[in-house]
Amino acid sequence: MPPTAWTSTSERPRGGGWRGITGYGYGDCMGTAVILIVIIVVLGLIAVAQYNSLVRLNVGVDEAFAQIEVQLQRRSDLIPNLVETVKGYAAHEKDTFERVVNARAAATSAHGVAEVAAADGQLTQALRGLLMVAEAYPELKASANFMSLQEELAATENKVSFSRQYYNDNVRKLNATIKAVPGMWFAGIAKVTARVFYEVADPGARNAPKVQF
Amino acid sequence: MAVSFAARQEANRRKTILLLALMASLVALLVWAAGVYLGYSSVGIVPIAVGISLAGVWGSYYASDRIVLTMTGARLVDESSAPQLFNIVHEVTIAAGMPMPKVAIVEDEAPNAFATGRDPEHGVIAFTTGILRIMDREQLQGVAAHEMAHVANRDTLVSAVAATTAGAIALLSDMLVRIMWFGGGRRGNRDSRDGGNPLVLIAAIVVMILAPLAAVLLRAAVSRSRESLADATGVEFTRNPAGLRRALEALAADSTVVQQTSTAVAHVWIESPLDDSAVNKLFSTHPPLQERIAILRQMEGGVS
Repeated sequence: MPPTAWTSTSERPRGGGWRGITGYGYGDCMGTAVILIVIIVVLGLIAVAQYNSLVRLNVGVDEAFAQIEVQLQRRSDLIPNLVETVKGYAAHEKDTFERVVNARAAATSAHGVAEVAAADGQLTQALRGLLMVAEAYPELKASANFMSLQEELAATENKVSFSRQYYNDNVRKLNATIKAVPGMWFAGIAKVTARVFYEVADPGARNAPKVQF
Repeated sequence: MAVSFAARQEANRRKTILLLALMASLVALLVWAAGVYLGYSSVGIVPIAVGISLAGVWGSYYASDRIVLTMTGARLVDESSAPQLFNIVHEVTIAAGMPMPKVAIVEDEAPNAFATGRDPEHGVIAFTTGILRIMDREQLQGVAAHEMAHVANRDTLVSAVAATTAGAIALLSDMLVRIMWFGGGRRGNRDSRDGGNPLVLIAAIVVMILAPLAAVLLRAAVSRSRESLADATGVEFTRNPAGLRRALEALAADSTVVQQTSTAVAHVWIESPLDDSAVNKLFSTHPPLQERIAILRQMEGGVS
């Protein structure tokens, strides 16, 4: 740590015995000044480090949210192809298709963490419904196109849920830091406030890492 | 009793630090032995030994990604040539918040995997064709998370440090024993303060002779602590201990031993590629599979 290294070298003049023998008045005055300067500089360095780490945590949360959006977009892009493929074998399951298409449209127009999370939950459920429908059609399940889509979807579902998990871990870290000393003293200066968790309404989705369609 | 991955990580990190500190004290002990036996002017050989060892290890640390790929004959794959494997590794990098490593496949029927690279930007994760054949998606995810954990915990660096120290100890004690053998010892030293207490002398000789063995054991223990740490960190990434646990069970059930592996790269694999029964557990680079499985079971919250 640079601060400690700095302190130990700059403290040497007052700590060592050699200044003691130079006499009282002069040594005292100089000593106090040096001590004060050292304290101010150390406090300044601590403040800068705190400020930087808060900013870094805050940017980390932004980046984690961007990652969620990237993965949600990937999933969105997979849906038309998936719906078309299932339609080819199960054309009459109109309700299911409609629900997926509507949920996808809602997810595309969502903004902000809470709204995106809600739309994400809806789409996750709708997709689960679609895959449940697919279960009933053996020819569909056996088609090469559907099988490759299935891997893509399983991977994307995992990526979405891991990006949620990573985002929430980052929010937890940030919120814990600005609630405790000394983070709370610097949160205002760094303009960092507590962030909202990404909470998906679908209870099954939160422990989704082991998606097995 | 349920065990948290955070507690396991903390415990293993502390263990690594303790072991590396023990290795450092071993060097100090050798310096003492050299001082006792040859006089304190002889400690000049310490920087020489550390320097030689460092020179030997540094290259293999810095170019670890390329060297290990060449030694194991791994072939790099991309999204189009191995879509599922690539997806699995990508998932884990998202969970870990880390850059995407290179992904490679080793043509080998024995199920195994490894990670290397001097930093996350140069990370490589390799899987054998055998592991891809016998494991399902969830198991492979667990394995990928374990390997990604090695990259995240910078285990190539940790093992390079352990190797350097062990190498320096071996060189140092070798030099000292040779000097002793050729009679360069007590006759010439006037700066030794112990005046020839035979017990101290014998202790110094014992230290010189046993130090390399102790260093080898400590190095293996460092490796084992990093393996346990990677298991715990892998669970932090996936939050799914069952995946890695089932993967290790599959490895335990499989009896194929990696064909083309030498002891030189043994430490990089997820499962020790060396014969387990003959080699003493103390020298092993990996904790026993059953022990790792039991700990993962505890993380699942079940009773083991």
